[in-house]
Amino acid sequence: MTFAQAIALAILQGVSELFPVSSLGHTILVPALLQWHNIDRSDPTFLAFVVVLHLGTALALVLFYREEWWRIVRALVRSVLRGQLSQDRDEAVGWRLVVGTIPVGIIGVIAQDPVRRLFASAAAAAAFLMVNGAVMFLGEFLRRRQHAAARASRRIEQMSYAQSAAVGIAQAFALLPGISRSGASIAGGLLCDLDHEEAAHYSFLLATPVIGAAALLEIPRLFAPGAHLAGLEALAGGVVAAIAAYLSVAFLTRYFKRNDLRPFGWYCLIFGALCLVLAHIGVLT
Amino acid sequence: MKALALLLAVIFFVLGILYGLGKIGFLTASGAGHAHHVTHLVVLWILALLCLIWARFQK
Repeated sequence: MTFAQAIALAILQGVSELFPVSSLGHTILVPALLQWHNIDRSDPTFLAFVVVLHLGTALALVLFYREEWWRIVRALVRSVLRGQLSQDRDEAVGWRLVVGTIPVGIIGVIAQDPVRRLFASAAAAAAFLMVNGAVMFLGEFLRRRQHAAARASRRIEQMSYAQSAAVGIAQAFALLPGISRSGASIAGGLLCDLDHEEAAHYSFLLATPVIGAAALLEIPRLFAPGAHLAGLEALAGGVVAAIAAYLSVAFLTRYFKRNDLRPFGWYCLIFGALCLVLAHIGVLT
Repeated sequence: MKALALLLAVIFFVLGILYGLGKIGFLTASGAGHAHHVTHLVVLWILALLCLIWARFQK
């Protein structure tokens, strides 16, 4: 992997992890489209580099929501010490994040490897990217139907624990390359009567422990036999991924104040279809 | 509910120990390697901790 490829992958990871377009799908499809045959996705050095990119992304999310996370963590600790739930907003959001993280944690640990082995091809990633686009349109359609039925929007703390868990389960579908974690969780949030801004907010908060814990637990890969990660490449990759993720979350939190998932749905459908055709005619392998 | 939460906490904790010692391997069917071995152990203990927190909230 060259230095330029490392930076390009870092930008791709930082942006596509938070935009509802599937980072895993893009890290399979884009190198295949650009004919980067020198990148072996199973190589220990590449896997170690991916860990660094994920750490950078998680760090960006923590920094962006640092004040809210500090309030949430303090509220959770107070709640456990008291042994009683209160009406505090940060505490309510915190417990919904805990409940939403449990399904993806369990499903991820059990199913991640077999699922990724099964669907590691560019054709599968392209097909699931199209499914991701369809899921976003479906989420928007159902949301509009609920709106037409004059159901009021909820805030995160007004969701039930079952709904929080359901959004967490929706997020677990992102184990499939091409299905976006944020797309699935935002669509899930919309179906739980959150508006776009709140659904995106919950999705990004939910992403922090998932991405962060996954990256921390994968740290042994940095020292795996055969992993020869160049210090400069790793440092630059991590920093660039963090900057890209920070800018992405800053943009998306503004974007979802007034806009919806449909542009991303169109992008996924068109890009997925294009990649699927290229895979079918043998250009994309 | 408190008894159930405590029972689950003990079960997850013991499963974690047995898994760490290599006495049980039902979770390794999904993947081999040191990192994933540690991940399964950590998740089992996190589940045990969450059950303890759940028990704490039961009067």
